Amino acid sequence: MLEGVLISISSDIIPNLINPKAHASAQMMQSIIQGIRQLLPVYDQYVAEEHNQMMEVLRNVAGAIDGSSAEAADRIRERATTLGAGDEVPVPLDREVVMAAHRKLGLALQATIIDLDELQRAGNADADAGLEIVRAHMGPRLVRDVQTFLVGDALLGRG
Amino acid sequence: MEARLVELLAQYFPEAEHIEVTGFEPIPGGYSRETYRFDAHVRTVAGSEAHPLILRKDPPEAISILQTSREVEHDLIEALRLHTSIPVGRSLGHEMDRERFGEAAMVIQRMHGNSQTSDLFHDGPDTHQADDVIRHLCEVLVELHTADISTIDPHGRLADPRHEGVDASSWDAYMDTTIEYYIRSFPTINYDPSIISVLDLFLTLRREKPRPLPLVLVHGDFNPANFLYEGGRVTALIDWENSRIGDPREDLGWMTTMDILSNSNVMAHPVDEGGFLAYYNELTGFEITQDEVDYFTLFGTANIAVPVQAAIKRRIDGESVEFMHLYLAQSAGGTLPNLLRLLDYPGVPQ
Repeated sequence: MLEGVLISISSDIIPNLINPKAHASAQMMQSIIQGIRQLLPVYDQYVAEEHNQMMEVLRNVAGAIDGSSAEAADRIRERATTLGAGDEVPVPLDREVVMAAHRKLGLALQATIIDLDELQRAGNADADAGLEIVRAHMGPRLVRDVQTFLVGDALLGRG
Repeated sequence: MEARLVELLAQYFPEAEHIEVTGFEPIPGGYSRETYRFDAHVRTVAGSEAHPLILRKDPPEAISILQTSREVEHDLIEALRLHTSIPVGRSLGHEMDRERFGEAAMVIQRMHGNSQTSDLFHDGPDTHQADDVIRHLCEVLVELHTADISTIDPHGRLADPRHEGVDASSWDAYMDTTIEYYIRSFPTINYDPSIISVLDLFLTLRREKPRPLPLVLVHGDFNPANFLYEGGRVTALIDWENSRIGDPREDLGWMTTMDILSNSNVMAHPVDEGGFLAYYNELTGFEITQDEVDYFTLFGTANIAVPVQAAIKRRIDGESVEFMHLYLAQSAGGTLPNLLRLLDYPGVPQ
């Protein structure tokens, strides 16, 4: 279906556009639709995998700052024993439940790097290792998202 | 629109007996302002003259990415035109009254030259000009960075043009208050937990500040789409709306980012000078290192990420229906691998 939309934009719309701004907009629409086509087949699987990996990250970060006694470190341990200790999600999955749980864990990682930053600025070297764990999880994941969703190699409509 | 434009032009050409606007059409590519090209045919007692011009207009506030002032941009362009040799088109004037065009607008001279700067790189038709054009571009940037701020911005309106509490009274104050603005803005851009890398970016910028340099006037959107060239020279540096007092390395860092996003290669030229950074250092004596450029690549990414990601969030939250913001959500991803690489994320290809 999406392929049909792309073909229609190329064959029915773009040849009839004389306004250059409308032409660029049509190309942007094609780009977004193509990105979604690439993302759809793998999206649910990514979400389930990432959910389970984020739980592990929360536990590992807590392990990395095990010897720290600051309030920020307590918050990190609290997340590891709550969000990080829940059940892993199965595949196939209940999409709505997993999406909600995935979002909750993602926000927990955000809160974790804020706490790690507080520890780092206080000179806690263990927090550097904790941040490294979060980055090691997020880096390949974000690159994979970009590779899946990105279309073309330059911004459309510019020089 | 054309009739209202003629009314406005009459203010700029008071000696005109008759003004006609022809060829009025939108220019694609402006991601933050709406731009239209046209020719104004002005007849006076002395004869007729055609003026190639551009109407640069604010988009509706709800879909605007950057809230900037056309009046400030007009004054800056005219100060640069009158007090430096930086190639800029004349700004004829600004119309801040929304009654005329729906939003604030300005009229500027349309400069000659090729705006398709991708022609300079890879297998483009103008690759033979690339070294000369980029050499001149670097010289233009150096002139901007060494311009007297009190002459160009006598009223201090470029010290904090976004009105976000940025304190440009010293380098440390500027960096600290700008980074605090980024961190404070995070809730307005946090449309998905995966934005964590942007949060990490803001926090890392605060922890790892480089050595200070004198604050200068920066272009603020120094990128391959914002200059025109012809005959081996830059004929115009355009789009001054994000200009401000800042660190000179910001422009170098942002060009590095936009080279990646635009699939261009500005920073590798002029080749015979060892590239853009080497030539810039030779001209300024700033001795900027690649590590410092990397820091300001991240800093500049943050500076643009705040308004762009906020616009995307407003679109996702349903506060606007602007199609462009959806496209930005996709295309902005192109900067992410470089951002992760500069932050030393494990598992990201170098």
